[in-house]
Amino acid sequence: MLERFLSLFRIDTGKRERNQGTTVFWIIAGTASALLLMGWLLPWFVNDYSAGVGYSAQDALVSSPTGIGTFCIYIMAVAMIMLVVSPIAEAIARARGRAFGKRADRIRFIAALVGLALTAVVWFLVSVIQEEPLFGSFTAGTYTDSAVWLTMYGFAMAALAYGARDWVVARQSVAFGVAALPFGIFLPLMFHQAPDFLLWAAGSLAIYMLLALGLNVVVGFAGLLDLGYAAFFAIGGYACASFASPIHNIHLPLWVLIFLGAAVASMFGAVLGAPTLRLRGDYLAIVTLGFGEIIPDLATNNVFNLTGGANGISGIDQPHYGALDFSTSPRWYYWSLLIVSILVIIFLRNIERSRVGRAWVALREDEVAAAATGINTTTTKLLAFAIGASVSGLAGAFYGSIVSIVSPDDFSFSVSIAVLSIVVLGGIGNIVGVILGSFILTFVIFWVLPNMNEWTTTLSTTVHVPALAGIDFSSYTFIIYGLALIAMMLLRPGGLLPSRARRIELESGEESESLAAVQGVA
Amino acid sequence: MPLLELDSVTKRFGGLLAVSNVSFNLDSGEILSMIGPNGAGKTTAFNCVTGLFAISSGAIRFDGSSIAGLAPHRITKLGIARTFQNIRLFAYMTAVDNVMVGAHWWMKERVWDGAFRTARARREEKSVEQRALELLELLGLSRYAGSYAREMPYGLQRRLEIARALATQPRLLLLDEPAAGLNTQEKRELMQLIGVLRSEGLTILLIEHDMRLVMEVSDRIVVLDHGEKIAEGSPVDVRQNPRVIEAYLGTGATEVITSA
Repeated sequence: MLERFLSLFRIDTGKRERNQGTTVFWIIAGTASALLLMGWLLPWFVNDYSAGVGYSAQDALVSSPTGIGTFCIYIMAVAMIMLVVSPIAEAIARARGRAFGKRADRIRFIAALVGLALTAVVWFLVSVIQEEPLFGSFTAGTYTDSAVWLTMYGFAMAALAYGARDWVVARQSVAFGVAALPFGIFLPLMFHQAPDFLLWAAGSLAIYMLLALGLNVVVGFAGLLDLGYAAFFAIGGYACASFASPIHNIHLPLWVLIFLGAAVASMFGAVLGAPTLRLRGDYLAIVTLGFGEIIPDLATNNVFNLTGGANGISGIDQPHYGALDFSTSPRWYYWSLLIVSILVIIFLRNIERSRVGRAWVALREDEVAAAATGINTTTTKLLAFAIGASVSGLAGAFYGSIVSIVSPDDFSFSVSIAVLSIVVLGGIGNIVGVILGSFILTFVIFWVLPNMNEWTTTLSTTVHVPALAGIDFSSYTFIIYGLALIAMMLLRPGGLLPSRARRIELESGEESESLAAVQGVA
Repeated sequence: MPLLELDSVTKRFGGLLAVSNVSFNLDSGEILSMIGPNGAGKTTAFNCVTGLFAISSGAIRFDGSSIAGLAPHRITKLGIARTFQNIRLFAYMTAVDNVMVGAHWWMKERVWDGAFRTARARREEKSVEQRALELLELLGLSRYAGSYAREMPYGLQRRLEIARALATQPRLLLLDEPAAGLNTQEKRELMQLIGVLRSEGLTILLIEHDMRLVMEVSDRIVVLDHGEKIAEGSPVDVRQNPRVIEAYLGTGATEVITSA
């Protein structure tokens, strides 16, 4: 049904490289279930429940039916439970060699549509015409809006997954975009009651996504292992800080700075790339690791009196255009970053499919043959470093502006490693995989783990299990992170969404030798 | 004026003389074969010509100007293309893309053209892809246009390498053992292909062990042994040259063969 509609939008994903697979389907179906659960439980989860009954639709289920809204909620609950339980049931059935039929998909698609409609009806009854006072009174600071949005989005994603399963499987990348983009656009509206979450989405998620996209050019496309990528992030950040803060009394607007940051970083990318041209693999990794250590050190030592030493540069300007005040609400940063990210993704995708992108892959596959086929290995490698670094510099400029202070600690080795983890975890060389990896990893590292303690404390009072509050999750952060990485690499060595090339490559595991090694000069 | 001149070319690896004082000329439109036992320095000579190795002494001239010491991609731009003895395709690129990499150096598309997908870039991509498909067609590889190089049968991989080399628009084509590992049928097709390329005016320098193929297609033959040139001449001359027979079969073999 939905498939026929979607096929109207023939988005060309490239004639040859079509990335088929069920990964995105399961991610969409799983996320739909998770969103439904979150929408259901969010009010319980975040606020102390003893504050009063009346936050969520769940309350309606424990009270007796009183009106149309309550009936709607009963039906919604049925749809929701079906959609939450059925993917698990299907996974189990598949594991035991039995597949669900088309009919199951159709039923779930209808359930999702019904759920979506009923959620809208309930929301309309309650908050627009203020009837059916079944949720009690709405007080500021409750997460009800987010809960409604999450529920609706969950139903919509389920509708996409089950209504157009074949399409999702055949056009993984496009399906992922279709599922994620509306969420990305409306996120500031959905979570307008949670500025912290928005700040995470702009300051961590978007920044790390850009970093990972940039590193993917170097590591994924050109096959050059770079362990010092945070250096270019630092250069972008400091460039922004120097030209938009009281330190040198220069105040350039942010949109100029992002270009400046990108330009300066790409210059450094080419300069730092030059000595590494003859190197590959482990040797290259060590040299870039050195660069990654040098740059923050230079900043700490306040080189040429430019960087403000260990304290860094503070008081970085935040843009203010009339009603668009970036300093009071992170949403403006978020939307600017969203637009910039989309542009970056389009550019990188275009370059990947152009003459230069082919040259990078050729270089990664066989440097000697690439040189003998007329590719200038020097400029092609430097171009990869420069373009990768420019994305990082752009992210650095945004980062400096968002947090309003840059210091050497922000650009430590752990940043390089986190970005590399995102690239590897998501799927080296696959842009959509890298985006997916950045969603998941930054969500875990910068949102779930830091908030874990708070959540368990509220939960312990809500469900009256005091022991829960005693667990200090912050001390387990890196254990959880590390275990996740190990598990991931064991289960899916190619990443969540490996590029088609990478998938076959893994099976053979050969590495190409460098041109310099063949020529006998390295 | 000869197209390619090797003038007392020597390549030393430490104490080992891989190529020693080798000179020969290659005229435009000619097919010259380099033969010799394993380890005779044939591939090393190839690597010197294509810039993978810097020569220790001597001179290599292409079209009258010295190319010794130039980077491999510069030599490709001058019009020398090659294949490799142990196939070196871009294993995880499709056949079309492999061939399109050959067009890399003469394509006009810049980075920003690619990033913005300008009309110019799209037009050029399309025309280059079209030409790549034509080349694949010419070599009978159309069926595999969209598959990864490593998924192709061995014999066709060899042919894809030739297609990639041809995409660089060469005047001189260096083929390093193109018949290795091919069956009789494939060898026959290869011979036909070489004939077609010659009729297109391409000059070919060939390393090959299959003597039937060598004798059939070559205008002249250069024989290397232990890095030195031991004979040069027409296929008939070389076949009867005692030093060549010795190099291949050992001392005393000449008598056995001539008496037989």
